[in-house]
Amino acid sequence: MIESLQRIWAIALNTFRETTRNRVLYVLVLFAVALMAFSLVLGQLSLHENTRVIKDLGLAGMSAVGLVIALFVGVNLLSKELDRKTVFFVIPKPLDRHEFLLGKFVGMAVTLVVLVAVMSLTLAGVLAIEGGSHNIAMIRAEALVLLELMLVTALALLFSSFSSPYLSAMFTASLWVIGRNSVELRTLASGKLAGTPAGAVLETITALLPDFHAFYISGASIDGDTTLSVHESFVGWGYVAEIALYAFLYGGMCIAVAIVLFRRRDFT
Amino acid sequence: MAVLEVEGLRKTFFRGFLRRRTEALRGVGLSVDAGEIFGFLGPNGAGKTTTIKILMGLIFPTAGSANVLGAPVGDRRAKQRVGYLPENPYFYDYLSARELLDMVGRLHGLTASDRRRRSDDLLAKVGLAHAATRPLRSYSKGMLQRVGLAQALIGDPELVVLDEPMSGLDPIGRKEVRDIIVELRQRGKTVFFSTHILSDATMLCDRVAIIVRGELRDTGPLGALLSPKIAGVDVVWEGDDHLAREVVVGPGAHERTSEGRVVRVEDLDQANSVVAAIVKGGGRVLQLTPHRQSLEELFVHEARAGGKEDPSA
Repeated sequence: MIESLQRIWAIALNTFRETTRNRVLYVLVLFAVALMAFSLVLGQLSLHENTRVIKDLGLAGMSAVGLVIALFVGVNLLSKELDRKTVFFVIPKPLDRHEFLLGKFVGMAVTLVVLVAVMSLTLAGVLAIEGGSHNIAMIRAEALVLLELMLVTALALLFSSFSSPYLSAMFTASLWVIGRNSVELRTLASGKLAGTPAGAVLETITALLPDFHAFYISGASIDGDTTLSVHESFVGWGYVAEIALYAFLYGGMCIAVAIVLFRRRDFT
Repeated sequence: MAVLEVEGLRKTFFRGFLRRRTEALRGVGLSVDAGEIFGFLGPNGAGKTTTIKILMGLIFPTAGSANVLGAPVGDRRAKQRVGYLPENPYFYDYLSARELLDMVGRLHGLTASDRRRRSDDLLAKVGLAHAATRPLRSYSKGMLQRVGLAQALIGDPELVVLDEPMSGLDPIGRKEVRDIIVELRQRGKTVFFSTHILSDATMLCDRVAIIVRGELRDTGPLGALLSPKIAGVDVVWEGDDHLAREVVVGPGAHERTSEGRVVRVEDLDQANSVVAAIVKGGGRVLQLTPHRQSLEELFVHEARAGGKEDPSA
């Protein structure tokens, strides 16, 4: 077991090196940092809502940049190995194919943790400049962003285990768009389309596909009265734990299917 | 004891939208003994790399079986004792040679100090100590081949499988790789390598197998495969044109080269007669070269025979 974890870590460490030595990653992170800095300017234009603007724009930037990285790096985790033929030298090494795949995912997950941590610290710094506080609600919101990015990576890994990077990116992005709008789709299925076959199909689809809305819930309402927001009333750690379990189970299922497909694949 | 055993190995690829069949291997069977250098020879597209990819668990056979170090292909414990250099190796180009060897060492379960020590030794052995910290993207093809050899050896394997190990190397690099292969045998390792550079096989191999169009044509020690019979003798001599007309033994058998006049005769008896005639006529014999069947001739013969038997050829 420990030996297996060591092999997975060897691949993860290599994947982490690969992603962190990719200059595109730095450009994207710089973009997020620039967005946070720009929020300082926007904050000045607002009426006593400086910190609110910084928090909203910072979280949105973190989520958007993280999504682009998770999507494009995620779909390339396997396809790059195949295109560059590095898989020919690594698969014959003393490791099982599932360890290789898990290592790739863990390496990417570590990259995402570092990425979100760097962006969160930057956001905290920008907030401190404006005299705002990077409170516990912000940390919960950032944890949810991180979990969402990990689930996106797991989906990207699943699709890239059997299709090209372009198709994988398209499939993953489509599922993300559907998942982010799951509340609206469910409302449509139980409202206008209620009782119709289309409504039943839509309800089944929204139940099966990943619910990305659950990870980015600012503006949503839990009890019909209170609107969730990191500024006033936000979800507690219990909700974060629940969503973490959901991401773990859904992401785990994606990786399990990817492993099954990857195990029988010919590398010609 | 056989370290590599292959029986009735078949591989059929289905390509394109119409799923066109390509039979890459048609029942290949061979056995490699411990401690020998085994050459796997064949022209391009013969099935050498397909066979090696099956042995390394990269592709799955359509039929047949393959065992590596007594275990079925893909067994992780067997893989632990195997070193592999792929054809035209591609490595993570963002890593340095030292980082690559460290990663492979981790996969072999080596401790940090062992990884460091073996990396240093191997990089020195393959002549890359000066470039150990440079990213692999800055390496030439020959340097990549050398680092490929180093990564294949970091786990101190019992069996070393090399797919075209001399490819991309200059004469000095080829000599160094040959020396490493011989050293591996001296240390009791088994080396299985594919090549189409026949001089390397002639110099190194205890046994060879020749594969043509997915079928094994011949397997055995080079001495047994090559005919010991003399196929002809070249007599190089110098003398005047008058003498040259006397020693001509047949049309087209006499020519002038920078080394002198050359007469090609069929056997040693004829060579003796020609030498006697040259000496008697006042000429001087410079060189006598008997020709035996070379590996190249055997290879070409087998390849052509394979082509004739193949209805699709």
